[in-house]
Amino acid sequence: MVRLADIPEPERSLIADLNCPHYADTAPTTPVVASQRHVAIVSTAGFIVRGERPMLSSETGYRAIAATVDDSDILCSHVSTNFDRTGFQQDLNVMLPRDRLRELEQQGVIGKAADTHYAFMGATSPEKLEDKARELGRSMLALGVNTVVLAPV
Amino acid sequence: MSGLAHYLEDEGLATVIVALVREHIVSMRPPRALWIPFELGRPFGAPGNADLQRRVLRASLALLDKPASAPLLEEFSEAVPLDDDTDWRFSGALDSTGVLAEAASVTPIWNKACERLQRTTVGISGLAPAAAVEFIERFHSADPMLNPRGMAPVSRARFAVDDIKAFYFEAALAQGGHPSARQLHEWFWNGTLAGALLREFQERARVSDDKNLRLIASSLVPAERCYWFLHGLESP
Repeated sequence: MVRLADIPEPERSLIADLNCPHYADTAPTTPVVASQRHVAIVSTAGFIVRGERPMLSSETGYRAIAATVDDSDILCSHVSTNFDRTGFQQDLNVMLPRDRLRELEQQGVIGKAADTHYAFMGATSPEKLEDKARELGRSMLALGVNTVVLAPV
Repeated sequence: MSGLAHYLEDEGLATVIVALVREHIVSMRPPRALWIPFELGRPFGAPGNADLQRRVLRASLALLDKPASAPLLEEFSEAVPLDDDTDWRFSGALDSTGVLAEAASVTPIWNKACERLQRTTVGISGLAPAAAVEFIERFHSADPMLNPRGMAPVSRARFAVDDIKAFYFEAALAQGGHPSARQLHEWFWNGTLAGALLREFQERARVSDDKNLRLIASSLVPAERCYWFLHGLESP
């Protein structure tokens, strides 16, 4: 697997020049101070918990990965060949750095690492994710989360 | 991912993106993004390198402390070397009499890998690794394996292909050393019968009468491998 810049044409341009939707600049939410940040990770790796139905291409829902789920029970259902999974196979934190986030909490860099992280399915049209993204946003706010690290693959 | 940032910010959450494709960020203008020039699939750097993972995470969160009246895009200043481990070789004994025999010979190595890593990423298809190999090997035969309930055959095949790759890669990683992703792929696609099986399966899927099978054909073998195979090239 390679960096984007190293992928042969025309595949490199197919990825880089993907027809992305246009968004007007969103007025950014004012961040809280670092010590009050309650941080969740949202990935587009299609993570599921072992035993759940895998996410399928273009699926618009999301899955929750609770802190109590063992690393070995987190599977990646985004099986595109465009990205490497040998890193993930060795270390979950390459894609979902939940251990690192907990360490930042312990060091006082952030206020709290969320108890639950989330995953959507990558390569899904962004507009189709709007309803579920907003639903997840409200759900996270209700849990006290105020900051999100978005982690594509 | 940038679309998610817009929606979540609009709901009242502060977001940062750790972005692998700069072009998408420039196009979609999320409020805050850190571009990291790493391999696709490794947004937080290298496996086992907790310091680097922590630096990426801290650098992304640091964007929250900067004025963000306009979309903020910064570049992470470190690169991750893609160097091969020149001492690494797959040293396990593989049975080369057939792909099912080969898979059977991988199994004890993979079992050790699971013990060593205390983890496996195999399982997305719901089939045991050797069964996943057999599922693909018999898929186009007159005697296909029974597809367990709960997943369409083509979806099962797509996930079985990924499980087969994870099964072999995890076994390879049990050999020790620090092989690059390139080395692991080179070994799998050019040095195993399973790799040959998946290339053949992709070719049959590409020209299948089943449109669902044709749809997954491009997601079985990495694009750069297809290119190199097509042009008879060695990987760089």
